[in-house]
Amino acid sequence: MVPVEHYFVLALILFTIGVVGLVVRRHLIFVLMSIELMLNAVNLVFIAASRALGTLDGQIMVFFVITVAACEAAVGLAMVISLYRRYGTIATDFLRTLRG
Amino acid sequence: MLGVILLSPLLGAVLNGFVVPKANKMLAHLLGVLAIGLSFGSALLLFQQFLAGGGEPSITYVFEWIQAGKLRVPVEFVVDRLSALLLLVVTGIGMLIHIYAGGYMREEKTTFRFFAYLNLFIFMMLLLILANNLLLMFVGWEGVGLCSYLLIGYWYSEGANADAGMKAFLTNRVGDFAFLIGIFMTYRLFGTLSFSELRAVVSSSASFDAYTLQQLTLITICFFGGACGKSAQLPLSIWLPDAMAGPTPVSALIHAATMVTAGIYMMTRLNFLFYLAPFTMEVVAWVGAGTALFAATIAAVQWDIKRVLAYSTVSQLGYMVLACGVGAFDAGVFHVLTHACFKALLFLGAGSVIVAMHHEQDMRKMGGLWRSLPITHALMLIGVLAIIGFPGLAGFFSKDEILWRAYLYPGSGHYLWAVGAFTALLTSFYMVRLLALTFYGKSRLDHHTGKHLHEISSIMWAPLIILALLSIGVGYLGVPGLLAIPGVKPHILADYLEPIFAVHQQVKETWAFAGAHHEPFWEALLMLVSVVLVFLGSSIALFSYARSSQPNLGPWPAPGARLYHLLSNKYWLDELYARFIYSPLGDIGEFLWRIFDIKIINGLLNGLGYTILGISGFASFKMSGSVHRHAIFMIAGMLALLYFLL
Repeated sequence: MVPVEHYFVLALILFTIGVVGLVVRRHLIFVLMSIELMLNAVNLVFIAASRALGTLDGQIMVFFVITVAACEAAVGLAMVISLYRRYGTIATDFLRTLRG
Repeated sequence: MLGVILLSPLLGAVLNGFVVPKANKMLAHLLGVLAIGLSFGSALLLFQQFLAGGGEPSITYVFEWIQAGKLRVPVEFVVDRLSALLLLVVTGIGMLIHIYAGGYMREEKTTFRFFAYLNLFIFMMLLLILANNLLLMFVGWEGVGLCSYLLIGYWYSEGANADAGMKAFLTNRVGDFAFLIGIFMTYRLFGTLSFSELRAVVSSSASFDAYTLQQLTLITICFFGGACGKSAQLPLSIWLPDAMAGPTPVSALIHAATMVTAGIYMMTRLNFLFYLAPFTMEVVAWVGAGTALFAATIAAVQWDIKRVLAYSTVSQLGYMVLACGVGAFDAGVFHVLTHACFKALLFLGAGSVIVAMHHEQDMRKMGGLWRSLPITHALMLIGVLAIIGFPGLAGFFSKDEILWRAYLYPGSGHYLWAVGAFTALLTSFYMVRLLALTFYGKSRLDHHTGKHLHEISSIMWAPLIILALLSIGVGYLGVPGLLAIPGVKPHILADYLEPIFAVHQQVKETWAFAGAHHEPFWEALLMLVSVVLVFLGSSIALFSYARSSQPNLGPWPAPGARLYHLLSNKYWLDELYARFIYSPLGDIGEFLWRIFDIKIINGLLNGLGYTILGISGFASFKMSGSVHRHAIFMIAGMLALLYFLL
């Protein structure tokens, strides 16, 4: 049996990849994918902990996260499309309307 | 009566300025003339009553103007021998010029403005003359300066005219400043500003201590500084020739007959103070003589007909100031009187020439005009003869009186006489030169002007005839005792003015020579010399400029070329001012502007601004709008949170 720490390390690696991708990537689709990756890293932690502790709480939590992630992906992709329609690009460099 | 004299020009100004329909030129002219005519009529009546009443001074109290602590300044008007006489001159000559101006300004669009200013000017001048205290006089003094500014810049759409107005105003301000200081010092010394009270204080004190005398010298120097500004004496004489930018009637009224004599009038009013300051008197005399000579030399090389007259005005004012300086205030007033007549005549005559020539003022383009303008020529001839002191005309009597009284002045009197006599020679030269260049010799008109040459209308020459008669007649008010002209009493004017100069006993002894008329041999000899000089100057001018062969219209030939250059550039006085006053002032201004204002003051404020901008720029960097940056900060924030919590 694989020790639970291995899962945690894998989750940490995945999460870090997600964070770095979020910051480094210029393309909105990749940004969304990075967010998805981070969410799944968290899911992995939940599942691993659930299994190790022998409780179902973590698994229930994962279902919630998956649902939220689905919603997020749907809304996010819709926004990406409308952004593309409006500005003709989805490179984040050019989307600076948040500037104060 | 006094109210009518004073208020009718003011009412005329208000009506012309605000009420009368703007397009109605005839009405504006009529109203202007009527206002001053009414004033003149009342002045005549007042003068008659005044003489009938024995010529005792009367003071009319109107209302309390300023009352602050011990300082009390009422609005009071004084009618005495001096002001009554000057009232007649200002309103009389003013009326003639108003009438003339209607013809001169016929082609103008805004005559209402012109007549409003003219009337306002007359009001201010009358205020100056009638005031019984220094402060009220100062109001009139500033008022005439203002009107002068407005009228010089009447054709303000041309920059040069507006500049000339500004120059006149600013130069006058320098003098006014001295005048104000004089007023302050007078108040400190005597505690009153009223002429009648000052006079009473001065004539009742038994003797004067050294401190008072020294203060008086300072005060009178300050007052003389004021007079220098208004009467265009040497350091401040630069504004008058430029003031010729205004319409010719303005030059005649303001810059020849009335306003410029305000300085002489003020000194005559304060004669009891001036008599107590021999040092000031010496300065006054020399400044006067210097100005007379200085301006006369410049006038001898001018080509603009009005500029010649302008410099001759400065020169004649120099004579008047010289008369005041040698204690012959009555001779000064006499010259004011005669000069007002013949200079108004000359200016208006020149104005007629200018109108006939379609606003050409360069005498090099005139010549031979006597055939086409016979009336103007005759009038100008009388004016010129009067100013150069041709025997029998007004200028002869007044100028000779001044020269003789200057000669009597102890110490430097002989030199003063010599300067005055040489100026008389120059005067006859440049005035006859003007006459010769304009009216005699070959015609140098261009074809177009020659064809349209026309004699002036009657509305313009009628007032000139009166002025011409005055230029001949006024002189007989001051016939010297030497020339017993049958039927004419000598020294009418001097006797009339005598009570004005009734000064302190102690002073009377020191200035005893000023009234003395002894030594008939010398008087006759000097008179003869000045007449000879007049004829000499006129002949040189006639010989050089009136011959039918081409006169020399360029600079003088080689030996005199350098002198000519100096004179035609007016001794570079304007340039000197520019070099030593304007440009240092400009440099200081430049320093204050560029260094102090922009670098220090603006620097401080901008520095504050930039600091805030910097801070906000730093903040705004965080709000760059870049999603990545937001994300970075978000993550950094979360990490920090985690670090602190765990």
